[in-house]
Amino acid sequence: MKNGVHYSIIVLLFFIQALFLYSIFRENNRSYMVSITLLSLTILLLYTYMKVQLHEEHQEYESLKVALWVPIGAICSYYLNQVLQLGPVLAAALVGTIASFLPNLRPRSVYLQKLPVAIYCGAFVGMSSPKIAAGPGFILAASMFTAIFLIVSKSIMQGVGGKLGTLAFLGVTITYFLLYFFDGA
Amino acid sequence: MINYIILVLSASTAVFTHLLHVRFKQGPVRASALLALVAGLIFHFFPTWLSADLSKHIPLVVIGASFIGMVSSDRLANILGIIIAGLLFGLIYAHTSRYFDGYGGALGTAACIAVLVCMAIPHLSSKRKLTVGILQLRRMLFNSKRKTNYRRRNQGM
Repeated sequence: MKNGVHYSIIVLLFFIQALFLYSIFRENNRSYMVSITLLSLTILLLYTYMKVQLHEEHQEYESLKVALWVPIGAICSYYLNQVLQLGPVLAAALVGTIASFLPNLRPRSVYLQKLPVAIYCGAFVGMSSPKIAAGPGFILAASMFTAIFLIVSKSIMQGVGGKLGTLAFLGVTITYFLLYFFDGA
Repeated sequence: MINYIILVLSASTAVFTHLLHVRFKQGPVRASALLALVAGLIFHFFPTWLSADLSKHIPLVVIGASFIGMVSSDRLANILGIIIAGLLFGLIYAHTSRYFDGYGGALGTAACIAVLVCMAIPHLSSKRKLTVGILQLRRMLFNSKRKTNYRRRNQGM
């Protein structure tokens, strides 16, 4: 069961990144240079997933108490971004900067050390534009998905820059497509 | 012109974030968020300082490239790797699809792809392999020097 979850999340992460590259290819397929570069990137990406030691062998789960901070970060970032109209960058950066000082409240607390990562991950969900995230309900749902991905991906791609963003992107994309599917049906 | 600015800015932001994270021990989140905060504040208070295109793209490039600098040093071992990942991010950002415009986390996904692609190049991702490479090169150079000295001595005799 644990192995199944482990491999599913790895496949899902590769799939969403390949989809991201494919969407660029679809818009730029007239340029040979861009097409060749994208093909090379996809091959190298696949090579890294298959050959490089990216993940821990033992599946570990992040604590639920830590993952609960993902929706909090997302709602704060959404509020600053869309309600106070500060824009996505300033909103996520403000939330991330404040979160990064939380461990200073009690430097010995292991729990507080883990919060900045969860809050910053949530802040990326809150960066979504109004045309994608119509209201706080969408942000809450997307950040719940992201929190689940954060829990199950603890031993996957540790220390790789952009992992938190990919998890947020996965959460937002799944929520958007679920809404699109149910609205369309 | 704007594409060159994006490339240079993304490479330099990735390096600055990595320095803040690893050398100045600020941690990955603070290193990334602080640089993004500076860029965000500048363009929030001075939106007409540069052209509209640059004012729109620079904060996004800074926060996206800063995610590359969050990589731990045992994943990307040297600054060259960070620079190449930054340039790759700039390239992906410059051609990014309008389809995923406005999706939270899209910049992080582009940064993650850039880092993972760089990790496929062994000399950029592993300190050990680089050290072994340097040792082999040194052994080769010193051995050839020793052989030349030995030959010269023998010829002199």
